[in-house]
Amino acid sequence: MDSIFINIIEDGVFAAIAAIGFSSISNTPRRAYLMCGLIAAIGHSIRYVLMLPALGGMHIIAASTIASFVIGILAVLFAGRIKCPAEVCFFPALLPMIPGMYAYRTIEALISCLGHVQEQAFSHYLYLLAYNGLTCAFIILGMVIGATVPVFLLKKLSFTATR
Amino acid sequence: MTNTSICNIPDTVTVSETETCAGGDLCGIASFLADYAALLSGCGATCIRIEKNTRRMARALDVQFDIFILPAHLTVSVWRGDSCNAVTAMRKTAPCGISFNLNARLSRLSWEVADNHLDLDTAIRRFDKIRETEPTGWKEVLILTSLANASFCRLFGGDFVAMLIVFVSTMAGFRLKQIMLEHKHDVRLTFLCCSFVSAVLSAGGHIFNIGATPEIALGTSVLYLIPGVPYINSVSDLLYKHYLCSFGRFMDAVILTACLSVGLCAGMLIMGLDW
Repeated sequence: MDSIFINIIEDGVFAAIAAIGFSSISNTPRRAYLMCGLIAAIGHSIRYVLMLPALGGMHIIAASTIASFVIGILAVLFAGRIKCPAEVCFFPALLPMIPGMYAYRTIEALISCLGHVQEQAFSHYLYLLAYNGLTCAFIILGMVIGATVPVFLLKKLSFTATR
Repeated sequence: MTNTSICNIPDTVTVSETETCAGGDLCGIASFLADYAALLSGCGATCIRIEKNTRRMARALDVQFDIFILPAHLTVSVWRGDSCNAVTAMRKTAPCGISFNLNARLSRLSWEVADNHLDLDTAIRRFDKIRETEPTGWKEVLILTSLANASFCRLFGGDFVAMLIVFVSTMAGFRLKQIMLEHKHDVRLTFLCCSFVSAVLSAGGHIFNIGATPEIALGTSVLYLIPGVPYINSVSDLLYKHYLCSFGRFMDAVILTACLSVGLCAGMLIMGLDW
């Protein structure tokens, strides 16, 4: 039980570093670093917990959507404190959950597909192309819907954060 | 057919210039709102934010307003009373690169104009000041990105040796990206070269049998190049029915992902690894 708890904390800490680092590429204001890191840590740990086999092992698409919903709520509630729009908070927090590995494996599968003429090998890479592509697309779709629903629900709060 | 006059407005509008415009102060307002929206679009704001912020300022400046946003251009129309006499300004999306800092400062400006009823000249002065905002220092971004990608490697189950390999390969690849973009090289070529360099460096783990998870090091070494913000923006625009912008952003992101994948595959091929 202790090791699971340590793993959750570790997941949160590394997700926070990843969020701050990747968001710095997009010129995030320094005052937003801490908040982005915190929200990313909470969101990513929630996804980690939901996907734990011991707790039912939820599918990555559903887990990402739920975690993003929490990220969206936290971003809308706390964006006003750092005088930034809600997306400045939740975009960096979502970045560690972007399925980059699935994205480039889709392209790799496409290249492999074109390089094989035998039906069996071609079908295998076509399967990899479809599997990685669909998973990637639906994770991103789920994540953005999850994070945008709170912006819809709390529209007034969302668009007055920089007021 | 509407009698819309399209003003030939230069990039920076001064009061004396707007006075000579047939549309009176409407020309200055249209020009300011178009410049504002073009910069906001260029810095990676979603369409709904561009529309809301610009409309907020238009209301404060006492004009009626509409905006037409496309991935590479946008058009702003303002009028008083009869929309047949609308003044229209068209701008190219500003090539400033994604910047949450600019996004936050421009959003704040829109509230300042709305709440404090700033006049047009003051708003333009503040806008020009925001335009001069310096991006985050390259050393800070380089170190934070390298740390981020190494952390990412850990999230995927990599050991500490793999994290170190990813840190070094990210640092080399990202520095190359900064240099190539500084020299105005094509962004697609840049992504291809950077992922190639990162893949070749991180393949060292496999070749020299360093660490227990060299395949994770190789797989995560190029993830710093994944254009996450355009992917998220694309779906956000889709939800708000800005389908053309959504498709434009999505294609941008897919093309960059394809370039980085080709660079990764080429790196692995040269190093004699299967993917």
